[in-house]
Amino acid sequence: MSVEQQDLKLKASENRGKSQLEAGFDLLGWDEVTQGSVLPSFDGDASNVAHQKAEEREYSDYNSYTATVASWRVQKPVFNIDVCIDCQNCWVWCPDSSILSRDKQMLGIDYDHCKGCEVCVEVCPTNPKSLLMFNEYTDLGDALASWPEKKKKEKK
Amino acid sequence: MAVEFEVNEREVWDGNYAASQALRQADVDVVVAYPITPSTPIVENYGSYVGNGYIDGEFIMVESEHAAMSGCIGASAAGGRVSTATSSQGFALMVEVLYQASGMRLPIVLNVVNRALAAPLNVRGDHADMYLGRDSGWLQASAFNAQEAYDLALCAFRIAENHSVRLPMMVHQDGFITSHTAQNVYPLSNEAAKKFVGVIDPVDDMLDFSRPVTYGAQTEEDWHFEHKAKQHKAIMDSVGVIEDVFAEFKELTGREYKRIETYDMEDADVCVIGLGSTVESARVAAKEMRKEGVKAGVVAIRVFRPFPYEEVREALKGCKSIAVTDRSSPGGAMGAFYNEVAAAMMTSKSRPLVTNYIYGLGGRDLSIENIKTIFKEQQANADAGYITTDIQQFTNLRGPKLGFFKTERN
Amino acid sequence: MAITSIKNLKEFSTNNDRFEGAHTLCPGCAHSMIVRELMNCTDDNLVISANTGCLEVSTAVYPFTSWDTSWIHIGFENAATSVTAAEVMHKVRKKKGTLKDGDAPVKFVAFGGDGSTFDIGFQWLSGAMERGHDFTYICLDNENYANTGGQRSSATPIGATTSTSVAGTHSYGKKEKKKDIVSIMAAHGSPYVAQLAPNKWKMMAKGFQKALETEGPCFINTVSPCCTEWKFDPKDTINITDLAVDSLMFPMYEIIDGHELNILYRPKNILKVEDYLGAQGRYKHLFKPEYKHIIEKIQSDIDEDWARLQRREEARV
Repeated sequence: MSVEQQDLKLKASENRGKSQLEAGFDLLGWDEVTQGSVLPSFDGDASNVAHQKAEEREYSDYNSYTATVASWRVQKPVFNIDVCIDCQNCWVWCPDSSILSRDKQMLGIDYDHCKGCEVCVEVCPTNPKSLLMFNEYTDLGDALASWPEKKKKEKK
Repeated sequence: MAVEFEVNEREVWDGNYAASQALRQADVDVVVAYPITPSTPIVENYGSYVGNGYIDGEFIMVESEHAAMSGCIGASAAGGRVSTATSSQGFALMVEVLYQASGMRLPIVLNVVNRALAAPLNVRGDHADMYLGRDSGWLQASAFNAQEAYDLALCAFRIAENHSVRLPMMVHQDGFITSHTAQNVYPLSNEAAKKFVGVIDPVDDMLDFSRPVTYGAQTEEDWHFEHKAKQHKAIMDSVGVIEDVFAEFKELTGREYKRIETYDMEDADVCVIGLGSTVESARVAAKEMRKEGVKAGVVAIRVFRPFPYEEVREALKGCKSIAVTDRSSPGGAMGAFYNEVAAAMMTSKSRPLVTNYIYGLGGRDLSIENIKTIFKEQQANADAGYITTDIQQFTNLRGPKLGFFKTERN
Repeated sequence: MAITSIKNLKEFSTNNDRFEGAHTLCPGCAHSMIVRELMNCTDDNLVISANTGCLEVSTAVYPFTSWDTSWIHIGFENAATSVTAAEVMHKVRKKKGTLKDGDAPVKFVAFGGDGSTFDIGFQWLSGAMERGHDFTYICLDNENYANTGGQRSSATPIGATTSTSVAGTHSYGKKEKKKDIVSIMAAHGSPYVAQLAPNKWKMMAKGFQKALETEGPCFINTVSPCCTEWKFDPKDTINITDLAVDSLMFPMYEIIDGHELNILYRPKNILKVEDYLGAQGRYKHLFKPEYKHIIEKIQSDIDEDWARLQRREEARV
């Protein structure tokens, strides 16, 4: 993982861990739940969220951004920045908003939101692929060390 | 700016027209509606105020009552003042979304012109639709004449939109008897009405883009109960605001509204308790009974939800025998209103006799004579010290006498 | 209207997602690909409504919301009504000056699954289209009631097995052809209707932007392959979509003002529908000898529909 990538990951995670979607929010009493079960997405002024990166926003505790579905995963995609061409196929087709792209560059995977569907790996066009699935518990360093070589075209 | 619509100090309006004038004066932003007899003129009139520039709001004529209430919810969540009207089958079609409106705590005002539910089809007034809404989490007020339909509609916006309430509110009037009978109405001046109702201050406004909100989240067994309890508490607590608004209205107009109204009850031995336009006939009948030596009184429920248990108990505590009148087919039980009054009196010290009369279904008249008969039966109960008739009776019905349940208390 | 650049994916990817992760849609679900793309097509404020369905039930599970914009769900059928009434309220409040920021640009969008669009919410949708509100309705068409466990809807194609059109020894699955919702919506006189697919991201983004920019009620049917009910591996969502559009099971086209039909995608190499059907468990039974004729029927329907689309495109009527 690059330094940049790690920084971003840290920023993205600041809000996390307060709540675990599956473990349940702090279960509040009737006098504490929101009126009308209405959920505000942000704490601060959100007029400009379309122009703010995730790490610049003031997410409320009610925003699922602050939650995690990591436990759904059995396999995880691992990203190899050395092979990536920043085509953004993985970004556009990720169903879980889990591809961390900033300034046209693919930087990594948001493992709190990734469910391990493998779509990103399927749509990755590089050779070898820049994203590959590994067992959830595989060490990232080990995964990168075992990255396959470029496949040669089969001779007919 | 809207064109000024001139109103006189005294007008001759029917209940529908009176309600629509309240919507105009309250400067309702959006009315989403589908027409149904007998409430149609309320929304037609609002549409004509829009069409003639008397109001700056918009009228959306949708393709069903379900859509009408759905639209009211969308518009209300978008932060403005919202109202509509319906009756009967239209009300029934709305039921799914009535629960959504109250669960989302949206202050919509619904004018309900009470009408029977089919089958068999009927356009006249009874309270089947009002009863259908009684568990929906809405506040419900009952108007007995055109003046009250107007007054209560204005009050409803104040109550519903109050930040400590934030609940939708129905204002009921009886189909045809109230909605289509022209009566003297003393409206407020446009200016006074505007000042009284005030401007809505939105909560969780979907059009406030600095604070995006999600309406209509899913809650399962871990959250649903708390939300419903919070809503119930808000309904119960709305009493204070209702009383404050009524007091302010009295200050302004001299017309006094209470959550229950009592007539000749100071020394009453027997009484009729009812809802809607029948109350006015019962008051006449009680006066006549008093001439005949029966200490008769009348209690009327003005605010049906939240139900005024303590006030009912207090008003009826000196009575010996009480007739609770239900204008809705009870479908295999005691009348719903009876059950509430009986429950209130069960916890009273005096534990009076409580009987149930089913009357007036599908707009069947309940005459002064009918009501006098009811009073006489109550007097007989009072004299005997037990209920001498069936506990539940159908009154002014053709065919063999129909009644159910006997008392064990003789 | 501030539309965002879709010149290429790199440009597109500079948008900041307003649809957040940790929703509970199935892994590999196409719904969120489509929703994300819609929301990334514009930086205007959005008021979004949703009918009951997978999208709704997975993105606003109390106490969490995945929506960074205003969002409302009421019932199964009324997303078109709630969002268009909000649109009218916006006009009124703008006129009266009661909005917090009256100049903030806003678009109104409703989402529904095929069950709520083709079936239970059909009347509400039709009413909103007829009234001419300025909004965009997007159907996430996964051809069944996936949220309730995969029952047939009127969007389910002939031959598919579902939990209420069960294929077995005496049945080949659903007997009826899919309802032509796009033509029905075009017949409302809508200024813009289209059928689009998420694998052709740019075409879909263009269509979304066109719908958002066009004043009046616009309708877009999007194919949303459902790994759970169509029975394929989640990783193959985009591959299945490729097969759907390349076999012309899902032709991509738009209809402007109710009559001007443009085919948006002509596969260079039109695939046999068997390739599409064979990739999904819901059509497996059709490959038995006794049901082979259904595959032939599906193919001939596709051929006829494609020919008809081309004639309509030519005729411009």
